[in-house]
Amino acid sequence: MSDTHTQDSPQEAAQSAQAAQSVRPAQVGPGAPPMNPYLAGMFLGLTLLASYLILGAGLGASGGFARLGAWLEHALLPAHVEASPYFGPWFPAPLSYYLVFMVLGVFAGGLLSALAGGRMRFIVERGPTASRTRRLILTLIGGLLAGFASRLAQGCTSGQGLSGGALLLTGSFVFLGCVFASGYLTAWAFGRQWK
Amino acid sequence: MIATLFSTGQLNAPLGFTTALAVGFCFGLCLEKAGLGSSKRIAGVFYLTDMTVVKVMFSALVTAALGLVAAERMGLLSLDALYQMPTVLGAHALGGAIFGLGLAMAGWCPGTAAVGLGSGRLDALVFLAGLVLGSIGFGEAFPWVAPLASMGAQGVVFLNQSLGATQDQVVLGLVGSAVAMFWACEVIERGPALARPGVGKLFLAGFSAILCIAALVALNMPRADIPAGQAGIAAQASQASQAPGATGLAGQAGRTGPAGGGQAGGSQESPGAAFEARLLADVEAGRDHMEPGELARRLMAHDPSVTLVDIRSPAEFDSFHLPSAVNIPVSRLPEALAGKRGQGIIVLYSNGMTHPAQARDALARLGFGNAYMLTGGLHDFFEDVLKPASLQGDPFTPAKAAQIQEARRFFLPPGLSSPSAPGLLTPPGPLPGLADAAWLAESLGKPGLKIIDLRPQPQYNSGHIPGSLSLNLESLRGNLGGVPSMLLPGPMLAEHMGQMGVSPRDLVVLIQGGPPQDATLAAVALERLGHLRYLVLSGGMKAWAAANLPTDTALPKVIPLRYPAPQAAAVAGAAATPNPSGTAGAPDSFTVSGPEVLAAMTGGKTLIIDVRPAGYFSGAQSEEARAGHIPGAVNRPFTEDQAKGPGDSVILKPVAELAKAYAAVIPSKDHPVIVQCRTGHQASQTWWILTRLLGYTNVKYYDAGWTEWAAHPEWPVVASPPAAKEEKKP
Repeated sequence: MSDTHTQDSPQEAAQSAQAAQSVRPAQVGPGAPPMNPYLAGMFLGLTLLASYLILGAGLGASGGFARLGAWLEHALLPAHVEASPYFGPWFPAPLSYYLVFMVLGVFAGGLLSALAGGRMRFIVERGPTASRTRRLILTLIGGLLAGFASRLAQGCTSGQGLSGGALLLTGSFVFLGCVFASGYLTAWAFGRQWK
Repeated sequence: MIATLFSTGQLNAPLGFTTALAVGFCFGLCLEKAGLGSSKRIAGVFYLTDMTVVKVMFSALVTAALGLVAAERMGLLSLDALYQMPTVLGAHALGGAIFGLGLAMAGWCPGTAAVGLGSGRLDALVFLAGLVLGSIGFGEAFPWVAPLASMGAQGVVFLNQSLGATQDQVVLGLVGSAVAMFWACEVIERGPALARPGVGKLFLAGFSAILCIAALVALNMPRADIPAGQAGIAAQASQASQAPGATGLAGQAGRTGPAGGGQAGGSQESPGAAFEARLLADVEAGRDHMEPGELARRLMAHDPSVTLVDIRSPAEFDSFHLPSAVNIPVSRLPEALAGKRGQGIIVLYSNGMTHPAQARDALARLGFGNAYMLTGGLHDFFEDVLKPASLQGDPFTPAKAAQIQEARRFFLPPGLSSPSAPGLLTPPGPLPGLADAAWLAESLGKPGLKIIDLRPQPQYNSGHIPGSLSLNLESLRGNLGGVPSMLLPGPMLAEHMGQMGVSPRDLVVLIQGGPPQDATLAAVALERLGHLRYLVLSGGMKAWAAANLPTDTALPKVIPLRYPAPQAAAVAGAAATPNPSGTAGAPDSFTVSGPEVLAAMTGGKTLIIDVRPAGYFSGAQSEEARAGHIPGAVNRPFTEDQAKGPGDSVILKPVAELAKAYAAVIPSKDHPVIVQCRTGHQASQTWWILTRLLGYTNVKYYDAGWTEWAAHPEWPVVASPPAAKEEKKP
């Protein structure tokens, strides 16, 4: 799988020196292949089930980042954010929210698994002949849209689609249907970045 | 039945945070192991080169769904213990479409990007930066997009309800679709985009069969009768379910408790207690209120995030309600507001505050972290927002007057919005203080004036100052921990005031039938509530009668409201010792207990003034366990502060005369003083004169007085002259 990745610049290689030890074997050969997706999915499903049984709420990620956004904006414009009808009720402690901690866990889990599997790469993932700038601009716009949309839809793929879907909530299936419909309808326009 | 952290209110507490961290760790591990730490693989789903996203997502969805169905059917889990997102069709469809576009552009979604960042992907970092900015954008645009966010709101709706099918059919259909999708994925997946783990047909057949069998097992799970408090954390939470109403849900919505911030503490309390504590902290900090002015501002700006709920009777609602309010009976609130849980701001109102407060707390327990009540109800809304500027007590600017006029036009039916013009209620002098009958006669009927008649009821019934409220003085006192005739604790006094329709901002005038100490005892009760807007009518009812002022026999119309209980914590540190009546803490900042008086006596710096008649002070007369007085106390009988007033009334001596008399007794204005009598009644007059008329700043009130002191043989007593006692013996 490493043949499709490109080490982008010497600077980045230098930046990643800290992780070089663990990356070294992966640069020589491909990292361990991913797990059987059905089994991984089953384990993910059990994680979600545990989340529901213990926390009483499903998995989620976008909520944590929205909290971070509110916190950052508050650092710049405290009065404005506290008066905001959407962010305001989150104060005084916007980060005291379970999804903030869950996102930290996701990051830690990904980090550990990537290190252990030799899949750590300090790269901008893109097609071998694709422009790096174009890829980053598309990613940034995609992020903006996803951030806005996940607030509108009360969650992202994990919080709304997966977690709500497991509860058989109507809205979650509407959301998932629209995500995939929109993705399939528009993805042709962004295919260049992967080539 | 499992009590989830959500149901016990601990989701956003340290225990919830730790658990979420662990769950998130497993979540990240699964995603990364599945190869979803790569945007190229995720994007592959749209080019049919790598269907991992679909395989992982639907395997997970089906696994969890089967587990949840099984747990619910076994009786292990109630759906009420879970946070369920309400369906908002328009928002979900539009949000899904925009999200799909973002996913196709970036190749990341929020969860996978967090894993991608952990895997070193710099594009994931850029995506997350966009995600955060996009969320901020939504927050900024919320006033405009709020209608979209609630477009097609249906409340919590399940697929079987929407499809008109049974849950069994939906589950089987879901598993069938997932299996079909998995096989289709294996067929259509093409192109060597990224290394994919080989999945054999045999494995897939086995996996499909397992899912189908698991579905059948889950749907036919027998109901196991598991007593509450057996499974895992449920044990802890059983306490919560015993507390009435505490089995509800946590503040899932926007708000987080003060336990946040990742600090320790609270995690060792029982979940119910922790939630209740947070609820109480919210109440104390006023986070459960919305001020009338704030509500008016939002309503006049047509803020779409506000759901205004009128919980009065339909008849009251029909005769008047605030614009945009909906009328929902209290019992139907949870059901009617289900779709609003965590959405925007719910504001409850009634005439006063009692019912909204109870309803709000119940909703908070049911997970409505976004429910508020209108401070002071419609009563205060009228007072604060709609009272014509000419009637407002405080000085007002032309801008403020215009604002009020605008609010009246917005909220009141046409015809009502023009200001009527009765005069202003202006106190005769500094508060608290003395009022005379002439001032009171002029002020009758003005808004914000509450007259409390302290005479026994037969006298009140046969004629009272128009509009006055009857209150038996003795209803302010009771037995506290065995000591009789103690002033009641603040919360009970507050309840009295609320039931009489007295609000903290009312100007109260106390009317005594007899001597001034009747009024000053009621004054001390108001002081215990922190209510300083009050006056004592000099000469009381007798002075009113002597001036030939009108009386009537009508009972006043009263709207009960919630008078906020004083906060006992706001009391000086020295008073924090338990008082002899066994109740912990001091009832207010000026009442002292027997042991405190004993300590003051021993310390010798405090001047103890015994205000009983001289015979009781000396011990010549006694109606108590022991005769005499506290060693070191000085005698200043309360009657020496009284004089004859108009009619047959008893009034206080002129301030100048009182000032001169006490200057001879008390060395300085801030000298520590304790006043005391037999039951606290007479001493209330001396306390009031010293603090409110003469400006002494360190005067304490020994409520229990000689009744308690005499009954404690271990506390010293001086009887003088001893000869007087000798005489009594034979």
